[in-house]
Amino acid sequence: MAGDTITVASWGGTYQEAQTKAFFKPTADALGITIREDTTNGLDDVRLQVTGNAVKWDITELGADECARGSKEGLFEKLDYGIIDKSGINPKLVHDDWVGISYTSVVLIYRTDVFGDKGPKTWADFWNVEKFPGRRALSGSQATETLSVAALAEGIPIDKVYPVDIDGALKSVDKIRGHVDAWWTSGAQAMQLVKDGEVDMASIWNGRAGTLKKEGAPVSFSFDQGVLTADCMVIPKGAKNKDAAMKALAMFVSPQLQANLPLYVDNGPVNEKAFETGKIPQDRIKDINSSPENVKTQVLQDAEFWRDTLVEATEKFNNLIQQ
Amino acid sequence: MSIAPSALPISMRRIEKRFGSVAVLRDLNLDVEAGEFLTLLGPSGSGKTTLLMILAGFVRANAGSIRVGDDEIITTPPHKRNIGMVFQNYALFPHMNVFHNIAFPLKQRGVAAAETAERVEKALDLVKLQGLGERRVDQLSGGQRQRVALARAIVFEPRIVLMDEPLSALDKGLREHMQIELRSLHRRLGMTTVYVTHDQREAITMSDRIAVMNGGRIEQLDKPETLYATPQTRFVAGFIGESNFIPVECHNGSVWYEGRRIHTAAPAPASGQHLMVVRPEKLRLLANAEPASGVNVLDATLSDIIYQGDSFVCYAVLRDGRQLTLRDYCRSDVLARMPAPGQPISLGLDAQDTILVASDG
Amino acid sequence: MSAQSAFHESAGTNLNAQSLRADARRESLRLLALLAPSLFLVFAITIVPIGWLFWLSLFDEAGAFSAANYARFFEQASYIKTFVTTFKVAFIVTGACVLLGYPLAYMLSQLTRRAASICLIFVILPFWTSVLVRTYAWLVILQRKGLINSWLIDLGVISQPLSLANNLSGVVIGMTHILLPFLVLPLYASMKTIDTDCLRAGMNLGAGPAATFRQIFFPLSLPGLASGVVIVFVLCLGFFVTPALMGGGKVIMWAMRMEQTTSLYSNWGAGAALGVVLLVVTLALLGLFQWLLGARATGVWSSR
Repeated sequence: MAGDTITVASWGGTYQEAQTKAFFKPTADALGITIREDTTNGLDDVRLQVTGNAVKWDITELGADECARGSKEGLFEKLDYGIIDKSGINPKLVHDDWVGISYTSVVLIYRTDVFGDKGPKTWADFWNVEKFPGRRALSGSQATETLSVAALAEGIPIDKVYPVDIDGALKSVDKIRGHVDAWWTSGAQAMQLVKDGEVDMASIWNGRAGTLKKEGAPVSFSFDQGVLTADCMVIPKGAKNKDAAMKALAMFVSPQLQANLPLYVDNGPVNEKAFETGKIPQDRIKDINSSPENVKTQVLQDAEFWRDTLVEATEKFNNLIQQ
Repeated sequence: MSIAPSALPISMRRIEKRFGSVAVLRDLNLDVEAGEFLTLLGPSGSGKTTLLMILAGFVRANAGSIRVGDDEIITTPPHKRNIGMVFQNYALFPHMNVFHNIAFPLKQRGVAAAETAERVEKALDLVKLQGLGERRVDQLSGGQRQRVALARAIVFEPRIVLMDEPLSALDKGLREHMQIELRSLHRRLGMTTVYVTHDQREAITMSDRIAVMNGGRIEQLDKPETLYATPQTRFVAGFIGESNFIPVECHNGSVWYEGRRIHTAAPAPASGQHLMVVRPEKLRLLANAEPASGVNVLDATLSDIIYQGDSFVCYAVLRDGRQLTLRDYCRSDVLARMPAPGQPISLGLDAQDTILVASDG
Repeated sequence: MSAQSAFHESAGTNLNAQSLRADARRESLRLLALLAPSLFLVFAITIVPIGWLFWLSLFDEAGAFSAANYARFFEQASYIKTFVTTFKVAFIVTGACVLLGYPLAYMLSQLTRRAASICLIFVILPFWTSVLVRTYAWLVILQRKGLINSWLIDLGVISQPLSLANNLSGVVIGMTHILLPFLVLPLYASMKTIDTDCLRAGMNLGAGPAATFRQIFFPLSLPGLASGVVIVFVLCLGFFVTPALMGGGKVIMWAMRMEQTTSLYSNWGAGAALGVVLLVVTLALLGLFQWLLGARATGVWSSR
């Protein structure tokens, strides 16, 4: 065990740097193992490694809907919840072969130099082009997120969004699409659109929104009607250091290490016990998307719902926004 | 197509051309008579092509005047000069067939289609390419391309035709054949022609007159036979035909070499060092050392003989170590008394075959 | 007659024919052996992967042999739309490149060699920056609060910003900038090979500068223009970064669709089918192009 080397793949960038400090380094120190890091592009990479019998990674991060799909395809090893303590983690993110690791939120951001503090606060406001004239951007690459906010825009309460009425949500998208000036395909692009004033309001990931605010851009956002999206971690089927990986993964989701994450990045911890460790300063907690207060105002994306509907919904969505 | 009705004389005056600080043509004057075939002959860099380019209008002179007939054309753009030109590489238009190449100048002049077809047909006849109008340029042989270029340059009956080494890309046999054809075509059409070449044999074969150019100047302008018989400078003597050069001294109205008086037909030039030009075919092997009066005798040693079938070439060394070349026909009497290499020989040179030029050039 | 020559004579009219034939065979084998490495490379990095791509495209998600991946193009209108968009953008960008690139290449070809090589550096300079950086630079210039709109508003030319980015015009501007060198370089190279004597001959024969350009220079530059057009057009079809960033998600091109499809479907066949379709259509277009050019039965086209 001690002296082993495992390879962990994540998304790279500042997010992975934060994970290194919050999870990887403390785990390596505690277990006496070496953690090598790599970056992933998502489920395709795992599929390629597993189906090609060339598994390089022992643990890899994925979006929750990818985990759900990969699980269905049988790409992952079973997790041992004798080793991994799942208490404190939302049961929807605890599965036989995948477990949640962090949260991202899709939030509504608007420019205060255009709207002052009277900007659109809800997705219904965002859809109200008479009351809130201005240029708009939504995610074009993440159909699940845009369909979720489209359902919210129709006035569906946050606890009734799932299961999403896809046709209803598409009709909602159809109402707004003529007023959408850009369908963004990456977080950086969403940020740039808002930052440069190319659009006055947008859906955006909370990490990007936080960065904009820190940089002093005239923007405002809240977690009200946010869409919480979880990332998860898996052990690819055929991983070479499965046992060490299991112990490392147990460390990653433990409250102590989970509490480290928001100290470095805006992605919230997936284990709610992290907020009881006392590691996170009180004034920081309200800014964290997965804090007990903020979770109440947001919709949690249902990974298993999208596992079965993603392809059809995405094709229809693509069809719609291209018209 | 008959004798060009509009053959015109060309008169070039005080043409100057510099490329940067290099003077290519200096104070050049040249008159070409109407209907004349005049050749600009010279080594590369002598300015002959530049002069042709100025005449065609592709290169702008720094100073000077060109008159064609009564018209000053020095500032006329090339497409308004009405001068035909045959380029060294033919410059046929590769995207047009033979017919369209030749019809091109007629098209520019708005000639009607029927007349164009007729004139192109005539031009093709003239250059012996009947029926090849539909051929693509890349399907033609070198000689055929040459003829197309020629047909294209004369089809619009230009006042003047310029030719820039048009035969240099052809092999020897074809070149000699084309020389004769060009010459006879010129006789039939009578257009004023300026021809550029560095091949002295070609120039002699074809030209009414030859302007020998060197260093941006015309060294001598004469008929071919005059140029050959009486070159006025060492350069012209060396460039036209083969020559032996023997340094001679002039004083008191006579010419001396190695203490012997040289008989000359022309009066001796001013006192000082001169060069005697001796053409190889003017030298004779003498049967004995006592020749008729008026014949100059040069004593030498035979170093080698080369038989060339109809003729032979002797290489001899004069007493001062100077090499001489002699050329003669293989007549039986000469062959009968042919000395062997290494033997002393006497070479005879008639007084009227001596040519004297200034020794500095 | 010696014994040696008697032997030769006895071989009759087929003197040494057999050994000469064997020698010729050996020579072809040696030449083939010299070609082998490149043949292998072409096979290994072109034929095999494309064959594999095609093979993969014939299997559905369950791994069964099926045409589902191709049927999808007809079931989902968005694929046809993407396809049309892709070719529309390719045509517009190629046209823009020709309009801008021809005069540029012509100017370069008329400069002295030294001046031309300095100018060529500026043509090639953008290659030294990544496409991503250049695309973002265009965003800075073109977007609503970008340089162009700010200037035009400051000058009072317009009161509302023009929509130059996040739509088709942004994609066309960005792609034209990136692809222009691919048109200019082959065009410039072919213009440099045009014999100046041909142009002189044109003028000598009575064509003015404009007529010489139209009747001689332009037709002779067409082969270079054709190669440039083909390169630009084909590169357009596979463009990803610029339309993704400059199109505002409204201009979806084929390569973007491939990326989407590859991550959306769990089988490679879905994306592979898109690749196959693009490849086949591109080849068909190139064939058509060749055929059209071949139809112009003049020396220039066939002697290329």
